[in-house]
Order: sequence, then structure tokens, then C-alpha cells
Amino acid sequence: MPTVTIDDKPIEARQGETILQVARKGGIWIPTLCHHEAVEPYGACRLCMVEIDRGRWWKVVTACNFPIRGDLTVRVNSERALRARRGVMELLLARCPESPKLKELAARMGVLGTPYPHVTEAQRNCILCGLCVQVCADVIGASAIAPAGRGVERTIAAPFRLASEDCIGCGACAAVCPVGTIVVREHEEEVEISPFKSRIKRKRCADCGKPVASELVKQALCRRGGPPVTEILAGHDLCPHCKRQKLVKELTSTGGTNV
Amino acid sequence: MSTVGARLQSARNLELHRKHLLAERDADARRVRVCLGTGCTAKGAQGVMESFQRAAEEYEEDLVLVETKCTGCHGFCERGPIVVVDPGNIFYQEVAEEDVPEIWRESVIGGRVVEELLYKDEETEQIAKTPDEIPFYRAQHRIVLKHNGVINPKEIEDYLAADGYAALAKVLTSMEPDEVIEEVRQSGLRGRGGGGFLTGRKWRSARDAHGEPKYVIANGDEGDPGAFMDRSLMEGSPHSVIEGMMIGAYAVGSSQGYIYVRNEYPMAVKHLNIALDAAREMGLLGEDILGSGFSFDIRINRGGGAFVCGESTALMASLEGRVGEPRAKYIHTVESGFNGKPSLLNNVETWANVPQIILNGADWFASLGTEKSKGTKVFSLVGKVKNTGLVEVPMGMTLRQIIYDIGGSIRDGKAFKAVQTGGPSGGCIPAEYLDEPVDFDRLTDLGSMMGSGGMIVMDEDTCMANVARYFLRFLKEESCGKCTPCREGVAQMLHVFDRICTGKGREGDVELLENLGTLLEDTALCALGSTAAYPVLSTIRYFPDEYETHIREKRCPAKECPGLFRYEIDAEKCTGCRLCAKKCPVDAITGERKQPHVIDYEKCTDCGTCFDVCPFSSVIKV
Repeated sequence: MPTVTIDDKPIEARQGETILQVARKGGIWIPTLCHHEAVEPYGACRLCMVEIDRGRWWKVVTACNFPIRGDLTVRVNSERALRARRGVMELLLARCPESPKLKELAARMGVLGTPYPHVTEAQRNCILCGLCVQVCADVIGASAIAPAGRGVERTIAAPFRLASEDCIGCGACAAVCPVGTIVVREHEEEVEISPFKSRIKRKRCADCGKPVASELVKQALCRRGGPPVTEILAGHDLCPHCKRQKLVKELTSTGGTNV
Repeated sequence: MSTVGARLQSARNLELHRKHLLAERDADARRVRVCLGTGCTAKGAQGVMESFQRAAEEYEEDLVLVETKCTGCHGFCERGPIVVVDPGNIFYQEVAEEDVPEIWRESVIGGRVVEELLYKDEETEQIAKTPDEIPFYRAQHRIVLKHNGVINPKEIEDYLAADGYAALAKVLTSMEPDEVIEEVRQSGLRGRGGGGFLTGRKWRSARDAHGEPKYVIANGDEGDPGAFMDRSLMEGSPHSVIEGMMIGAYAVGSSQGYIYVRNEYPMAVKHLNIALDAAREMGLLGEDILGSGFSFDIRINRGGGAFVCGESTALMASLEGRVGEPRAKYIHTVESGFNGKPSLLNNVETWANVPQIILNGADWFASLGTEKSKGTKVFSLVGKVKNTGLVEVPMGMTLRQIIYDIGGSIRDGKAFKAVQTGGPSGGCIPAEYLDEPVDFDRLTDLGSMMGSGGMIVMDEDTCMANVARYFLRFLKEESCGKCTPCREGVAQMLHVFDRICTGKGREGDVELLENLGTLLEDTALCALGSTAAYPVLSTIRYFPDEYETHIREKRCPAKECPGLFRYEIDAEKCTGCRLCAKKCPVDAITGERKQPHVIDYEKCTDCGTCFDVCPFSSVIKV
């Protein structure tokens, strides 16, 4: 088993693990934005820069996707690594000066402001980490959104920047967004996901008629899970309140003797 | 010329066919070669070619056999259209359609020389009859461009007659894959696309990599502003690239190749397609090539025009049909590249070197160049130099030799200021380093790089801050936007430059640029971002005064940044012709007819119209 020495602390690692995984195992904090356990590392935000020993020189690499192939010496808190991470954070702060979550992370890194002006913005408060795109494609299987445009004009959107035809309204994109830019709003008839212009019809409770989750989510789950999932979900056409009511009714009618 | 009709069954078969082709050639035949490279075509070479063809058709006497053929780029684009007449290798330049009857009558049929159309040295007034007598060609050493301007790129027989596919036959009949790799390793060949990685070592890794199938890929996605090396090679000698790829495929154990070429290079795409079809028809591509049991084929993939797709991982993503975005290369593409399989990617120029190395031996190749940079390099020499064009020189030639001997010095008697090498991510090298040898390591030491071979010469009228700004603007447009430092950092640097070049620069701006440059170098995902600051850092390093003058004095010493200099009318030279006053869009120029005019600076917007229109050069920049 290779040993990864991070800031003088030796940690046992498995082949193919990333520096980030090893560091987390060893309780060493490296800030990340575009990293999420549910998806493959994408390496876009460049916030997790660390220094590694390359024999004759030290190289700055991203911890999230650098694979362990043998013993390795890593510096997380060297001057160069700190400067790299802080520099990246300053650039992100210039892009999204209003994001509270980004400011919070910056403060934890010791970055209290940015020397750069706000000159780039194609989508408000979006740091373009790409997590929403990845989770939508690789975990949900919907591929409703993708990066559009390039350079500073890059945005995350559905094709032609219109409302997506493939969005199922599951809200996974909002759940993984590290800066809280993606918002799910539950309206009377629809689930709205901004900034993607998605509006998905909500399913209604079979008993009381109140709106519950997106209809398409149930369909997607049935498609992916096959007949067993369809069967399980068959009895779930009710809102949480009606579901409880139904259970109480069933229990009292059988006299509750089994309890 | 006729095609062979049947597949070549063996290496011996190929040799016999070659001998047959050569024997068929009439040594006394008069031949006219018209350059149909992109440069000459733009200057009307197609019409010249057609006129020669008509003349050949109308020529009734059968005393002499006359052939006309089109060739790829000769390199001397400055003097196009170029026509060469054989026998004699007589080199005619700037040929217009009207000149064709005279060349035909005098030179082709008459065997004499049309002097007015020959190259004449501006200074010595010496007339050159053949390319070897022209300084532009004299110092060159052509290996990669050997066939350019000589063969017809659309005729495989032409390539075969010039020892084409002999290197392939050699490796298939007498070399083991490991021997081929060893030969390439010993030659010292390094990647011509920019990185300069040792080709032999890359091939070794690709052969040793686990996983099937393996792919070989040619990178023809040349996108640097002002560069046309790969373009001319693919247009003028497509078989050299294909043969190199076949040898590489044999060496690493691949049966499928791809050529990734820009769709903006229609002639390259066309010529490559013709070449692939012809090679397939002759059995040089496909199953059981030359009866050796080795099978290989190549597909062409046209790129959509993103500069970043020249980066290896972005190229492979694009090849897979995904968005052309780079990924981390902590696992190399020779291990996991196209479709997650071992992939050997080389630049087209690297591939074209391979057949020559196999034919002439590693020692021959290694005898050219410097200690760590072997062979030759093709450069596209452009900018403020007299002889622009495509040049191939041995590694280690000095910048001075390239710019002054081959390039014929700076245009309009101006002074040399800097040369920018390596494309948009390269650096600017000042006059004090003109005698440095051009090789991979020396250029890197100087804060620039070899890159793929762009060489842009700048004169005293070029503002270095504006140059850096130009390249940053290019890179901002071409950044894919995936990683933070490249997307945001380049935009921030450009923002600072917009300030500096409009007289709003502040103290500390240079330090800000330097910090951003270091940040990009350390943190960007791919080479586009990590080298994006090179033009900035190198101009700050070599021309600090120029930045200082912009920021402190709000003045552009090269008088290029609008608003940071003034237009003035030289009263002694002004004839009072009224032209500038008429053309001035804001009526800022006043003066009586035949009296010197004056500019009203309250109204002047520094647009430069007066400077451009004055027929007596009496508008000056101060």
C-alpha cells in the first residue's frame, strides 16, 4: 500500500485513490467546489491545488483528480499551494461577488476580498463548476443541461437556452450546487428550476388533490427501477398527510392487534 | 497519369511499380509546375494553371512531351504565383495569366529564360534562375517539405516515384516494431506540435500501454494566428503524413488511425481524402498491407474550429463526439486517450519526419540540429519581414539568419524590434537575442517557446503592450471556459491591458499582470491557460520601459495605441491638397488650398484617417 505524506503526516492510501480522498481520510481539509462523491472528478474549479514532490521539482496539481500510483509527498499548506488556491478564489469572488456561500468558503480559506473587478458574468452567481451538468447526465440520466458558449460567455443551459424538454424536475442540480445558485420553487401547478427555465407539472395527491412532487420523477424512477419499483411506488400516489391518514385508517380497521 | 489498377501485393511489387513509373518518364519532357498552394491560389494561380493547360492542349507538335501539373506550396508565398519549368528548374515568380504565353513560347518550348519573371535580389540586383540561387531557399534544408512544390499532391504515383512508401515497405519487410521505435528514439525527434516531447519515448509508452485497440492520431488542428505549416504540409504532401502514421501504427500495434484536421482547411481535407482513397485502392491501406499481415486504415475527422481542440485531450474529446474540452493529463493519453484506449497522438509535421528517418537512418537525422533538438523545423515566417513564407531550417539556426538571410530583413527599411515565436502562447524575443540558436530549449529559456512554428516579426512601429493585448484577446475568445484561471484570469489580464492601452493604466498594473501570469501557469487545466500569459510576461521582461511609458506618461512609444500619441501635419511637407480635410469625419482639419493645414485637437478623435489618406506622408505621428 502506498504511503502519502501530506504536510508531514503519513497516510496509508490505496492505488488509484485521489489525493483529496487520502487527505479527507487523514482529516486534512482541502477546499473544493466542483467535487462531489456522486460523480467523477471534473477538475474545473481549480480550488483544490496542492503541491507534490516530483523529485527534482515541486509541481502544483489538483487534489481532486490526481491519482495515487505510489508513495507521494504532498504539501497542502505550502506558500505556493496557498497562493494558488487563494488566487483562484479571488478570481471566483470577482465573478460572483454576491454569493454568500462562496464568501463563506473564501473566509474559511482566509480570503476576505478580491483585488479584481467584476468584469465577467454570463449567469448570475454561477461559478461554472459543472456539477449540475454532471449529476443530471451521469446520476439522473436526463442530460437536460449542458455548458453553452465558451470562455467567459460560458453558461449552463438547456439546448438553445430555452426551457428544457428533458428536465424531469427532480432538483438534483440544485442539491449539488455548491454555491446555491440553482433554486427549486414549488408553485401550485408546477415545479420551477431556475436559472434553467424548467417548469414541470406537479403530480396531485389521489385523495386530497394537493400538489406533490414532479410527475416525471416518478416515471423516471419506474423506468430505471423496472417492475419492482413500479409496484412499490404504486401505493405512493398520496401526499404525506394522506399517506399518514391512510395508514392510521388501515391500522385501526385491523384493530392494531399486531402492534 | 494512370493508376495501377491492381493492389500492390508485396514490397517487391511496390518496387517494381516504382521502377516502371520512373522508366515511363521521358527525361526530355518539358514540365511546368504551377504552385496551387493556398497563398498562390489566392493570388490567381488557378488561372495561370488553366492557361498553361490550354496552351498544352493547343500545342500540336509532338516534338516534345509537355506536362503541366499543380503542386503544393513552394513556401515563397510573398512572390506567388510561382511557376517552375523543367528541365532547368527555372523559377518564375509573380506570374500573371498574361505572362503565360511568353513563358510557354520562350521557356517551355524555346528552352530559353524569361528574365523579367525571374527573382531579382533587391540589393545586389542579381538575377536568380533556380530556387537554389535565391537567398530565401539557399539557407533552407527541406526534409518535411521535400515533396512540396515538386509532386502533385493529388497523384499517388508522383509520390511513389519520389520514393514514397519505401519507408513503409522497409519497416514491414525488415524491421520489428521495437526496432522502429528504437530508430525513432535514436533520431532524437521531438514533437513538432509545441510540447517538444521525445517522439521515440512516446511511441515506447504507447507500445507498452495495456489495452486494445490502440489508436494513432495526427493532429492537424493548426490554429495559431499567422501559422500555416501544417496546412501547407497536408495540402502539398499528404502522403508523407499518412506514411508516417502507418509506420507509427505498425510500431505501436494499432490498426486504426485518425487525422483531425480543421474544417477551415478545405484543400487539406480534400487532398487528404484523395490520398487516402488512392492508398486504399493500391492496397497501401486496409487489410494485409503489402502482404505483410499488417492491417491499418485512417479516417478523417474535421474539427469545428475551436483553437483548444489542438490540445491533445480536447482533440480526443472532440473526436469522440463530445464537447472539445481538455481534461487532466495525470493519466497520459498514451495510456488512456481516445475512447479510454491507448492513443498515440503526434502533430502532422512529426509524422511527416518519420518516413525520412526510416529511409535515411537515425544517425543522419541526428546529425542535423543541436544537441537536444534534432532535425529541421518548419516555420511560417510572417509579419514585417520582406520575404514572408514557409521555411524549413535545421534546428540551431540563429534568429538572425532566419529573419535576415531567409526573410531578407525588415520591410521598408524599418528597425527590427522583436520576433514572436510559438503562437499565441509564445513570447516576444528582442533584438539582443537575435544571434541565439533556435531550438526547443533555448527558446524556452528566453521565455518563449518553439510551439508549432509560428514566427511573427515585428518592427519599431509595433507596440509591445498592444501585441500582448492582441494575443490575450485571441485567447479570451478561444478559452473553452472550463477552468477558472483561464476563463477568469485571461479576462482580468485583458481588462488591465484595455486600461494600459487607453491611457488609464495605474501604478501596480504590471505587478498585477505578473501575479496573474504566475497564477495561470500554476493552476490552469491545460496548456492553453498555463501558457496564456507568456506574451504578457515576455514583453514585460524585455520591454519594461514601454509599459512604464504607457502607464506613467500615458504615451505609446511605438505610436500604435490610439489616443496615446498625436497626429500632426508637417507644415513643410503639406501641399494643401485638402484631401485630409475632406476625409476627416469630424471636420477637425482646416486650411486654405495650397496652404499648410492644421488639426484642431479639440475635435480630433485620433481615428488616423488623415494619416492613411495623405498622399505626401505629411501627416506624422508624434
